[in-house]
Amino acid sequence: MDKFWKIIAIGVLACVLVIALTPYLWILLTSFKGRLDILAPQPTWFFTPTLANYPAVFIDKDYLPLVFNSLIIATGSTTLSLLIGAPAAYVFARSNFAGKEDLFFFFLTTRMAPPISIAVPLFLFFTMLGLTDTIYAVVIAHTTFNLSLVVWMMRGFFAEIPKEIDEAAMMDGRSKLGAFVRVIVPLAAPGLAATAVLCFIMSWNEFLYAFILVAFEGRPITVGIPGLITPHGTLWGQVAAVAVVATLPILVFTFLVQKHLVRGLTFGAVKG
Amino acid sequence: MAVSFKEVTKRFADGTTALDRLNLDFELGEFVVLLGPSGSGKTTACRLLAGLETPTSGCIEIDGKDVTNVPPRFRGIGMVFQNYALYSHKTVFENIAYPLRIRKVGKAEIERQVRSVADLLRIGDYLKRKPSQLSGGQAQRVAVARALVWEPAICLMDEPLSNLDALLRLHMRTELNRLHRRLDKTFVFVTHDQEEAMTLATRIAVLKDGRLAQFDEPKAIYRRPANRFVAEFMGRPAMNTLDGKVEGGVFRAGTLAIAVDCPDGPVTLGIRPEQIEFADPTADDAIRLVVDVKEPIEPDTLLIFQTSGAAPVTLRTQRNCDAIEAGQPVAIRFPKDVLHYFDASTGQRLR
Repeated sequence: MDKFWKIIAIGVLACVLVIALTPYLWILLTSFKGRLDILAPQPTWFFTPTLANYPAVFIDKDYLPLVFNSLIIATGSTTLSLLIGAPAAYVFARSNFAGKEDLFFFFLTTRMAPPISIAVPLFLFFTMLGLTDTIYAVVIAHTTFNLSLVVWMMRGFFAEIPKEIDEAAMMDGRSKLGAFVRVIVPLAAPGLAATAVLCFIMSWNEFLYAFILVAFEGRPITVGIPGLITPHGTLWGQVAAVAVVATLPILVFTFLVQKHLVRGLTFGAVKG
Repeated sequence: MAVSFKEVTKRFADGTTALDRLNLDFELGEFVVLLGPSGSGKTTACRLLAGLETPTSGCIEIDGKDVTNVPPRFRGIGMVFQNYALYSHKTVFENIAYPLRIRKVGKAEIERQVRSVADLLRIGDYLKRKPSQLSGGQAQRVAVARALVWEPAICLMDEPLSNLDALLRLHMRTELNRLHRRLDKTFVFVTHDQEEAMTLATRIAVLKDGRLAQFDEPKAIYRRPANRFVAEFMGRPAMNTLDGKVEGGVFRAGTLAIAVDCPDGPVTLGIRPEQIEFADPTADDAIRLVVDVKEPIEPDTLLIFQTSGAAPVTLRTQRNCDAIEAGQPVAIRFPKDVLHYFDASTGQRLR
């Protein structure tokens, strides 16, 4: 009987894998196809591969700086969110004050509004600040949604560390802040890493805010893709090439921290 | 290092009063045990002294200096926590060395001091391990070592033995006793275990509902309990207490009549189970009671007698009781010189 269920389980997993991976595989193959193969009425698995799409978009069209923009934006917003969000989460995990749970829930509500509804107000804010079409605008915009993620995830990780550890550090000679920075943060490092990766992915994948806030200089890679839809037709091969490159960092990061990631995600769900 | 609590009150946000105008003074080198049932405020008193909580009112002085609002790191106090609170990401060596690292002590000096305290606590072999690879007793020693390594004048211990199994607890108790004799330090030890308190303390502070019930040497606490609460709390099984009335030198409770040295009036009479004696059935002061339950707890035996109109009386003896069965009458006597008298309404000791 056990064996039977095992086979069923493997079968279900295989189906899920096929459904999840086929589009990605399709993009990957497309990025190596020539224009004729892409537009062929009968798509084929086997074709003569070409590497032309990659240099065409990253060098001829100068898309390489967009990858760096994406890196700067994702790293910047992740760092900013952790710097602000982790101390906040620590306070939520440790202190009791009036309206604590309400304030905590408020952090979640900031994610409930559809992004498009605050896109225009955000644009107006940044115009007044003179930040539109700069990379800073996108970093700050991405921090607005990453912050709630950090606060919600990190509270659980901090709560898991016994309060006595803070107190022991204080008895050993640390100030309250010192205990947090020097003892609690290193202990929560796995949680911080998981949270950071999620923030990074969120920011890396974000399109709407970046699209509205920057047009040229600070464009991340996601905003670059619509530029490949030209009046003369969509450059599918190059779109696919950009998409493949854009997914690479996420693949790498997720593999690196997948263990912590699962724990971090289920954590917030149970304890938050 | 003299410590003094002056009219210290601690009320928590949820309205519970953990400490109610506590006054407590003790001197350098003492081993003070804070003893009491749960909710008596003993842990709160310890945390207030550590600086982990601030009192609602009153003040705490160390060596004559008011430290009420001084943060923990400036108080010169080490602390051992009930759950050890070791830093799981550091090795045992680094755990012990941490207070020294914070104080920017030189490398060679750290090495020397950690070694010496580790030898004192017999954990020299585990210095390279992580806390997760230690047994409860070893983790406990590391926690003690960390609290002592920087030589604070006062060391606080909040129920440090309660997470250990019974045998290990006995062993650690002996170790702590040894440690206190070797080091010239003030120890403040929180526990609800009276045996621990009795064996370790130079003085025991018995707390009840956030108030000090008695503060005295273990002997005195046992022999001259200041009130009915301390009398019943200390000693196993608890002291027998009988509510009754003295008339003409005879204490009466229900059908019991006991000769006492006490002025007339209502009184609570106390006698320890181990101080009740068997009597010659024909003697004048013999009291004949029927055994209700017999509990052999070798080498001792507990005999619980039912009395009519008064509380049950427990006797503890080392005598061979094989011949005594439940339901059988036994003659006992309450020697006058071991009786305790408490005020019937306030519970305070009389005389």
